[in-house]
This record gives sequence, C-alpha cells and structure tokens, in this order.
Amino acid sequence: MLSRFLSLLITLGLLFSPRFVGAQTAKSATPPNGGDFAPNPKVLNKVPQGVILVKGAWSSASDTVTPVPEGGSLANNVFTDRYFGISYTLPPDWEEKYQGPPPSDSGLYVLAQLRPVDSFKGARATVLITAQDMFFNLLPANNALELINYSKDHLQADYKVEMRPSPTKIAGRSFTFFAYWSPIAELHWYVLATEIRCHAVEMIMSSRDTKLLANLVLDLNRMKLPADGEPTSITGDPVCIKDYARDENMVARVEPLFSEHKVNAVPVRIIIDKQGNVRHIHFLSAFPDQEKAITEAMHQWKFKPYLQNGKPAEVETGVMFGRAPRRMPSRGAAPATTE
Amino acid sequence: MMTRFQLLLVLTLSLLLLGGMVSAQTDPGVQSGNRGTGAALSSVLANSPSGILSFFTDGQTRFETIESVSGNAQGNNGLGPRFNANQCSACHAQPAVGGTGAAVNPQYQFFSTGVVSSSGNTLPSFVTANGPTLEARFPFFFNSNGSVNTNSPNGGVEDLFTVTGRSDAGSCSIPQPSFATAQEEGNIIFRIPTPTFGTGLIENLDDSTLLSNQMVNLNNNVGVSGTFNHNGNDGTISRFGWKAQNKSLHIFAGEAYNVEMGISNELFPQDRPLPGEDGSGGTGDTGLVSSCLNLSGTGYPEDTSNFSATPNSAVLDDVSAFANFMRFLAPPPTGSVVLNGQTVSSSTISAGASLFASIGCAVCHNPTPGTTQVSNFTSSLSKAPVNAYSDLEIHAMGTGLADNVSQGTAGGNQFRTAPLWGLGQRIFLLHDGRTTNLITAIQDHASHGSEATIVEEQFFELNSTQQQEILDFLRSL
Repeated sequence: MLSRFLSLLITLGLLFSPRFVGAQTAKSATPPNGGDFAPNPKVLNKVPQGVILVKGAWSSASDTVTPVPEGGSLANNVFTDRYFGISYTLPPDWEEKYQGPPPSDSGLYVLAQLRPVDSFKGARATVLITAQDMFFNLLPANNALELINYSKDHLQADYKVEMRPSPTKIAGRSFTFFAYWSPIAELHWYVLATEIRCHAVEMIMSSRDTKLLANLVLDLNRMKLPADGEPTSITGDPVCIKDYARDENMVARVEPLFSEHKVNAVPVRIIIDKQGNVRHIHFLSAFPDQEKAITEAMHQWKFKPYLQNGKPAEVETGVMFGRAPRRMPSRGAAPATTE
Repeated sequence: MMTRFQLLLVLTLSLLLLGGMVSAQTDPGVQSGNRGTGAALSSVLANSPSGILSFFTDGQTRFETIESVSGNAQGNNGLGPRFNANQCSACHAQPAVGGTGAAVNPQYQFFSTGVVSSSGNTLPSFVTANGPTLEARFPFFFNSNGSVNTNSPNGGVEDLFTVTGRSDAGSCSIPQPSFATAQEEGNIIFRIPTPTFGTGLIENLDDSTLLSNQMVNLNNNVGVSGTFNHNGNDGTISRFGWKAQNKSLHIFAGEAYNVEMGISNELFPQDRPLPGEDGSGGTGDTGLVSSCLNLSGTGYPEDTSNFSATPNSAVLDDVSAFANFMRFLAPPPTGSVVLNGQTVSSSTISAGASLFASIGCAVCHNPTPGTTQVSNFTSSLSKAPVNAYSDLEIHAMGTGLADNVSQGTAGGNQFRTAPLWGLGQRIFLLHDGRTTNLITAIQDHASHGSEATIVEEQFFELNSTQQQEILDFLRSL
C-alpha cells in the first residue's frame, strides 16, 4: 500500500518537475534563464566594448618583471622599450593612435606605429617600429642586414630603390639605411635597421614628403639606444644564441604534451640562468593550454652552464613547438656588416 | 549688413568647399551592370567531363529549393527546429544565386510570407527591411540571473527563428534566444553570408601554394604578419568562412544546412540545439525537447543520398549537390565602373590597381595567391590562377572589428582576408555588414591591435584623386 502511494508521489513529482513539464508541454515556450536565454534579467551588465576577451594564440611570459619585446609603452610623448633599451621621443603633435597587433607566430613584433595627430595640418607620415625575432624568422635571412638585402632584392615591381642598403650610425649605433619609393603612389619609405638581442629592429618611415622623412631620420639621433656592443641595461643582457636548446647543451629535457591545440606554431623565447635552469619563458604566440604544458616541461629542463670568457653567463634562445612553419632556405650565413 | 569683403570671403569659401566636395573621393557604389556573375566555369558549361553540367544545374536548383518542416511532397523537409532561412539562395543571392546578401532582406519578410509564425516568434530588432541578411552569435553565455558571463565563451550561432507556430511543425514549441537582452548587454555579433563564386578554385589551392605565398607576404614594411587557420581533423589549412574555419565546400555546405537551416545531413547528422541547449555554458540542459525532434517524420539525417533516384545527379544528397554547385561556379568577372553616371576609364582602374598594391593593400588582399592543382573534377579548376584578392590567411584586425568569437585556431580578433573578387557588386561590407561604404570599410581596418593600421594610414596619405582611383578599381572587381 505504502509502496503504491510512494510510486504515485514520485510520478506526480516527476510530472510537475520543470524539465519534465518542458518536455511534455509542447506549447509552453517559456524561455529558461542562462545559456542562450536571459528573457527577464535580474542583472544587466555590459560586455566591455573595444576589448578582446576571447583570444586565440597570444603572447605571455612566465613573469612580469623580465622585460619582453612587446612591453614597450608611450608616455609623455616618449616611446620606451626596456627589452631593446630604446627610448624614442616623438615629434611634436605625433601620437600612437592605434597600438600594434600582438606578436606573430613568425616572430614579428609591431612595437609602435606613430603618426601625426588627426588635427595636424602639415605633411603626413608614419613611423613604424618593428622587431623581427631572428630565431623564428621565416625569410631567408640570418641578421638585420640580410633581411634588408632580401627586402631590397624582392621589392614589388612598382617600387624603385632610392638608396641601396648602406651602413650608417644612429645615436652611436650601427644601422643599415635603405630607401625606396613608389612613383605611382608618390610614397617614400626610409628603413633603418639594426640588430639587438638577435632581433632585427627596424624604424620604417613613410611619407610623400621627403623633407619630412629626412627630418625624421635626423631626429633619430636624439633616440637613446644601446651603443654597439653595449647591453640594453646596466644589468647586462643574456648571450643570445640561435638553436641553443640542442642535445649537446642540455642535461635534461622533457617534451611538452599538447592535448588541445596542436596545429599552430608556438614560438618560445627562454632565458637560461647561469646554473642552466630556465628562469624566464616568453611565449610569443600560444594558447593557454600550450603555455601550461610548455611551462611544466621546461621546469624540468636542465642545461650545461654556458661559459663566456670562462665565466658562467645567461643565455637567451628560441624554441619552436607545435607545428613549426617551413622556413625559406637561406642563401648562407653571411655575417651582418652592421655587427 | 554684409560688407563687400565679407561677401567676397563667403563666396570664396563656398567655392573652395564646393571644389573640395567635387574632388573628394566617393565610393562608386554597387555596380548594377550584368557582368555575368553566377555562371558555371567554362569547362562545366561545355559539359566536360560529360554529365557535369547536369550536376551544376541540379545543384543550383537544390540551392534555391524552399525547405519545409514536414509534409513537402517533393521531400524537401527537415527545416528547423531553429533556422535563419529556408533556402540557401535566401542568403546567397547578390548579385546572383550563390552570392551574398541582397538589398531586400528576406529575413524581414519571413513573417509576411509565412516562413515564420508570429505565434512563437518575434522579429529581432536588428533584422531590417533593407539591412544585411544576418546570422547572430552571442560571444558569451548568460548566467541564470541574466548577466553576461564573460568567463564563459559561447560564440555559436543563435538562430533567429523557430518553427514554433508553423502548421507543419506539429507541437514543437521552443523560444528564440534572448536577442533583446543580448543587444542591451552588447553580447551579440553578426555575420553576413560569404559569396561562393570561384570557391572551387580556392578549394583546389594546395597548402604548399598558400605557404609559399605567405613567404612573399612576410616581406613587407607595413607591419603585417598573418597565419593560417587549420582543420582540427587533419591539421591542414582551412579556408572558408569569415575566420577560414571550414576546410572544404562540403563542410561549408553541410554546416550551413545544419546551422542556418536546421537540416541534419550526412556530415552533421543530428538536429542542432543552441549551444546552451546542449549543455554548454553550464546550463545543464540536455538537448532539444523531444517534441521538436524528427519533425520531418523521416528520421535522421534529414538529408541523405537518394539511392534509387535517376538521373545520376539526383542520387546525391543535398549537401553534395550544394558543394558541387558552389565548386563549379565561375569566379565573379570584373567589369566597368560607373561613377556619378560616367563610366570610369580603364586607365583609372589600372592606376587604382597599382596604387592598391603600392600602399600595401595587396600584402593581404593578394590579387593572385597562387595557381590551383590539377583537378579531378573539371579542367577549369586545373592549373588556374586564383584571382581572389586574398591570401586566405587570418590576420589580427584589432578591437574595432574583433567579435570575441573563436573558431578553430582563430581568436576573437582574427579574420580571414576577405576575398575581394566580386566586390563591385556587393552591397554590405565587412564581416557583419556594418557599412555599405567602401571608405568606411577601409577606415575600419585600423584600430588597436590591427595589422592593417599602417596600410589604412597610407591610403589616407594619398591625394583625393589617387584614393578615388583605388575605390574605382575596387568596384571593378
């Protein structure tokens, strides 16, 4: 008797449970709350506009203290990038209206893109400051000079060379200067490139006004940056060595296991301390699950201590995980004359 | 009382302003002339190999077929329970079947034409009579109190309509997603249909061709890099859709049939619930209610191969027929451009093309990213240049265009370089159709985090005549 009563109660309970009602009462279309539905919200909150909340592969680092290339900033009309030791004062009435994109998986950084303010009445121009990580560069160039020469040799058909790549000095540092222009667009590009910490750092100026461009180049002499052979900071730089994470330099190595994202290139720069441990990991482009897997693996890496002039030194190198993109074959390892 | 000097000043200023207006650049707008867009590839028109033309025409017929929920004597059943349109050509219509959204939005008319019942549906306010034909997505799920949970990405398609109230939908009754709240909270983004002309050529580009082209693109001084989206199944480069998330035309067609029209098929065999209805976002929901399943009464999938049909083309399932139709569509031909009633000279178009390349637009909008492989379908798809004006890469497009929707390896800020062939006859521009004006579309390429900011700046460094030449050129495509 009791069991029959209980079963009646359970049946009634099921019949009146919300989900059972929803399934059986077809004409009832009352939207639920949550998920795709918020018909009568108790709390309205706005999604922040102009913010990228759902990121794909992105840059990050294992600590916030060690400078990273993309960490430059503009304050009081001065662009400063601690990683490269650069400090550049913008011309008056110039701004960075829009910051650049995140680092690419081929190692390109847009450090700053500068231009006159909208209300500026004079000739217009742009100054684009980029850095190409030479560890992950896909073009057949091993250094800044080769990169500029490649650019010169592969200009698109309508561009004309104004000045072949030539050595010059900017603020006490060796640069390569290269200029070309488009006769139809009447636009000129002045490119100044140097190599800092195994990156080709380029100042690319573009304008129709060559006098303005010349002044911009002259202005660069007021830029602060490390002189040839000098470090970017008083604490010194790690020695940068391409493909240093090879068996002969390592004591222990564990490969990361990617479980979720597997088909993208994941370039990583690391700094190895004097004891041979990975002390800093910089992900140029990685998904969070890849960061986690690489971090866990690299904490188990151990390098042989690197000696510079007989003394232990820190080393900075690059490691490509994931789907490594194909690099165009290099024509040789000609040393950069700017070095 | 105006002095003679003041009068002279006003006249002079007026003339100057008028002069400025005359010389200011103008988007020539949608070109109305018949360019022959929508025709089959020449070898398909020549019926080579034998029989292929019937597959094209059959595919086109099916592409235009109106689907019902149930009871259609011709067997065109399976619509819904959620959908954005009831035929492929409702969305892919401009300037010909297979294209993009038309000037008159069919979605706006669905109530008056009986496609959607007002008993159970309301017209979302963003669907307008002459606005873009739209697909909507919520970047994030809602919490149970109605607030947006920005820690819970959604990004799936929120179909605009349900079959509720239709006479052929039985007792199925389900609510539309909460579009009004989503708009109020800024938790909604839109997509317009991508045109499908020439897509058979894009499909037949080998990955090696695209990777080689990427090497060419990387040699630029405008800050552009770019990468590819990849198919999760085989790891190769995917290339269709606004984020290059779809690998092939079959996948593109199968997904659209399932997502946009609610028709299950051999690639996507189940009816599709909304993302939250399937339990995503922590809703705990367990799929579509039973009263909204198998509405066609034919079982699953609703679209299948037709094993005993004749002729040959009729054996195919709809998705394969759609894929063939799109695959065999010729690329959109270029054409003359009329601006303010005058035909623009060919030398102007040519100058515009050169300027387009000179200022860096062609780094991403590459006129010809490569040549196709040998095709096993038809000779027009073999060893053919793909003049798509796209590198088919995905690029960071900044906060101005970002939609916070991730697809494949593309993040919320990344989009495929939109192929520009056929641009001269497109009405709505950019991924969400936010503008009909080319100049606005160019401006919108610049924002925080965009790879295109320097190129956009260089466009506006050109004088008005040069800018106009580029606009004229773009409308010739």
